[in-house]
Amino acid sequence: MDVRPRTTRLMAVAAAVVGVTTALPAAAAEYTVSLKGTTFQPPTVNAKVGDTLKFINDDSVDHEMFVPTKGFGVDLGMQKPPTVSELKLAKQGSFEVECVIHPHMVLKVNVSQ
Amino acid sequence: MKRTARPSSTRLAALGVASLASAYAYAGPERIAYPAGYQTTFVNYNQIERPDRKPAQVRFMYATRAAAAAAKASEPVPYGAILIMEDREAKLDADGKPLRDAEGRFIASDKVLNVFVQQKGQGWGEAYPPEKRNGDWEYAWFNADGTRRENAKFDGCFSCHTSRAGRDFTFTFVKWVIDGKP
Repeated sequence: MDVRPRTTRLMAVAAAVVGVTTALPAAAAEYTVSLKGTTFQPPTVNAKVGDTLKFINDDSVDHEMFVPTKGFGVDLGMQKPPTVSELKLAKQGSFEVECVIHPHMVLKVNVSQ
Repeated sequence: MKRTARPSSTRLAALGVASLASAYAYAGPERIAYPAGYQTTFVNYNQIERPDRKPAQVRFMYATRAAAAAAKASEPVPYGAILIMEDREAKLDADGKPLRDAEGRFIASDKVLNVFVQQKGQGWGEAYPPEKRNGDWEYAWFNADGTRRENAKFDGCFSCHTSRAGRDFTFTFVKWVIDGKP
């Protein structure tokens, strides 16, 4: 039996709850990016490590998502409409996503912890 | 000495055609020699994952040390520059998925699949029609052992790199320079 005073017990419970809350990782988010009209929408994504970018080719032409930034480089390959490609954000930092075929398409991505 | 009976203008025209044909014949991947020893003598300035390839690959991007040192964001890539895109297989787990390092990046194996070379030579682009020309860049494709890839086609190289005319026809090298050569 717990013989600690009521306030002490409540504080212990509260501390435990806070501890559990802070120990739980935040749920990973998904950010949807449209390619319609050979334009990234939105043009900037601010996300966290563990989140995912989903590129929806809702355009009428092929696209190819490509990251040329050192440390983040990836080429997701040719993407025909209406397919979806995904990029998991595994590390902190900022990078750009381009379309190999349409050089004017540039998406800025900022990833924080 | 026997003189030709052709009029002067005809001879000049023939000479012109022969000269043009010679220039076009010379243009192509044969201009580029396999850059032996590039893995240790060049700068590995970037790596590009290819999760879409089966199996997954990692592309190692190299540049000659001189080009890497001299390149400036406000200027074209120096003549003599050699850029390499080397395809390697990624290391895979038991399920066939790419193994990742502490930063979540693919881990490359030592198995080289392709060595693509892009080299810039003074006047090299003059051999190509304007709609195809990539500045003064030329392309070549080698196997891992340094032999030339048989029946290789290069129209795709020219057409794809045309989209990056604003970065001197490079996808990653000038971007790396613009970013401050991190």
